[in-house]
Amino acid sequence: MSSKLYIMKNEVREYRRTRELSQADLAEGLGVSRQTIIAIENGRYSPSLPLAFRIARYFEVPVETMFDPSEEAEA
Amino acid sequence: MTKNKHARWIAPASTLAIGTAMAIAVRIGHTWTYAIVTEVIVVLFAVGYYLLAGTKSDVGAIYGQRKDERQRHVVMKASRFAMIVMYGVTFVIALIMVAANKTYWQEDVIASVGGVSYFLALLAYGAHDEDAAGDDRGIMATDSVLGVDEKNNVRPPM
Repeated sequence: MSSKLYIMKNEVREYRRTRELSQADLAEGLGVSRQTIIAIENGRYSPSLPLAFRIARYFEVPVETMFDPSEEAEA
Repeated sequence: MTKNKHARWIAPASTLAIGTAMAIAVRIGHTWTYAIVTEVIVVLFAVGYYLLAGTKSDVGAIYGQRKDERQRHVVMKASRFAMIVMYGVTFVIALIMVAANKTYWQEDVIASVGGVSYFLALLAYGAHDEDAAGDDRGIMATDSVLGVDEKNNVRPPM
């Protein structure tokens, strides 16, 4: 079993910028820290399933649109 | 993110309580001077933790008891690393003491309690095993660690 950590690619930064939101605004809206938003956008952290769904609902898009499991980057 | 009105006080209060207990032990075993110095250091640490807990950083969130899911993962990884280092240092000290023909019962206590705690935590946090029927009967109730039907010498289908 591989011990490497794979991070899903996501569109969080793009959707955030479209809505002209700061990372702090998005963090407050989702109930997480700004550092966590930064880590998600930079591909250094994959959110849990509940958080991924909250992010998708926040931007009113399907979770598959926000996170692409077919594109994974090695962390 | 966990939120508690008094969360920022937990780390400094815990530091004060534990540190004061240590200062009392120092007073019992040593002098008032050492005890006072110990308590002063403890108070400085407690103040430092209170100030740190108010910052908008990962460490501030951790010490301020308002960790989000990623910060909880960071704490788990950091705690695991610290545990490995502590065990390593304890073992090295034990090696030195034994080689010097001195007793070191503290290492026996730490290693024993640590090992039992780890095993109990595995059980408590969900380390289970499944039998051939796929029923979860708990780690202590399996017929075979390998999951083999020993009576019929057949490995159950995955």
